[in-house]
Amino acid sequence: MINIKLTVNGNICKLTVPVKMTLLDVLREQLGLTGTKRGCEIGECGACTVIMNGKTVNSCLVLAAQADGAKILTIEGLAENGKLHPLQKAFLEHDAVQCGFCTPGMILSAVSLLERNPHPDEYEIRQAIAGNLCRCTGYKQIVEAIKSVAIKRKHDDSNIL
Amino acid sequence: MNYYRPKNIDEAKRLLQKFAPDSRIIAGGTDLLVEMRHANYALKEHLIDILKIESLNKISENGNELIIGSAIVHDQIANHPLIKRFAPLLSAACSVIGSQQIRNRGTIGGNICNASPCADTVPALIALEAKVKIVSPRQEREIPISSFFHKPYHTVMKENEILTEIRFLKLNDNQRCAFYKLARRKALAISRINIAAILKISKDHIIEEARLAPGSVFPTWTRISDAESFLSGKKLSDEIFKEAGNITAQKMIEVSGRRWSTPYKESVIAALVKRALVMAAGELTP
Repeated sequence: MINIKLTVNGNICKLTVPVKMTLLDVLREQLGLTGTKRGCEIGECGACTVIMNGKTVNSCLVLAAQADGAKILTIEGLAENGKLHPLQKAFLEHDAVQCGFCTPGMILSAVSLLERNPHPDEYEIRQAIAGNLCRCTGYKQIVEAIKSVAIKRKHDDSNIL
Repeated sequence: MNYYRPKNIDEAKRLLQKFAPDSRIIAGGTDLLVEMRHANYALKEHLIDILKIESLNKISENGNELIIGSAIVHDQIANHPLIKRFAPLLSAACSVIGSQQIRNRGTIGGNICNASPCADTVPALIALEAKVKIVSPRQEREIPISSFFHKPYHTVMKENEILTEIRFLKLNDNQRCAFYKLARRKALAISRINIAAILKISKDHIIEEARLAPGSVFPTWTRISDAESFLSGKKLSDEIFKEAGNITAQKMIEVSGRRWSTPYKESVIAALVKRALVMAAGELTP
């Protein structure tokens, strides 16, 4: 067992966990944050994607011990004061959600993309979500949802100028 | 099971001195965690996490040399100005590994030590004639990456050793390079075949030196010396690139024999070698 401290969605969490426990298991089983999904557990499906210290990671491939001291953002921490994040809204508006299993990881990959690159083209969007598999809705609506936020931001940016 | 996160290399060495061989080094964990879930994985009692060791987290230059710490993640290499400028084939190789999530976490040291035959950084490092530094509690050694591997998933590393850095000479302006990866889809796919190529080209378009390093073609990584010597001294042309591809395919059959996949691989490897050479020659391609 090992003692760790995580900042999850702004809340400090002190936990004692087995060394072999993954960040995914801590989030889901110990903290009850089931928005982060357990999928393939080999780093291919991206359903378990969270943002750790500003970078997306597959939480199934990170030991909780290795995350000691880290800042974690999960899908539960994205909305502020009950107000959805623009990407969450865009996913709803573009029907980019069907079963919803890939959605949390997909949205966090998109959040991370727009932070690195506020105005991605379609190719860059597709590359950024390559590590997130969707098996029902298809990628078209998802790409369009992300594109709409990027375009809206571009529009807002040019208004500021 | 115990977990340790040494802050410097001396602390890591002390831990290895105490616990090896009942210890395992972990860095990004993108391969190790998958491995640990296998039922037949022989669990080691002590896990030593080297990801936070500062000296392993540096990319630096020393005169003509670039030095990359083993805990540097793929995304950093893909985007680092020094690597993009002086070893663009390595940043190209790192930019197509796994997904963004994997590139944010997986390290170059891990990619080398895991020694998977389809590792994307290895052909690039072999073409760069990189050397790797390996330290143990009592000594350190530096060896060419070309003699680092015994066979797939087996390297010269002992259980009390850490790979700490990778170094190679910067490519000059007259050295052009390319990395090409063939996979079942464009992203998040394991390489079927990959090729790293470096061409040193004179002002009058003569190849002064050629280096060709394929991945997943031979049982272990090796450069294609037959094709390299064929190319050197010749003027750039489509025909010689094509011939270099054919020589590589013949070499593959010579080494591996004819297998069920040969009819496919023979023509594909020939085409890929040619493609990588055309990419390397860039606008100089006739």
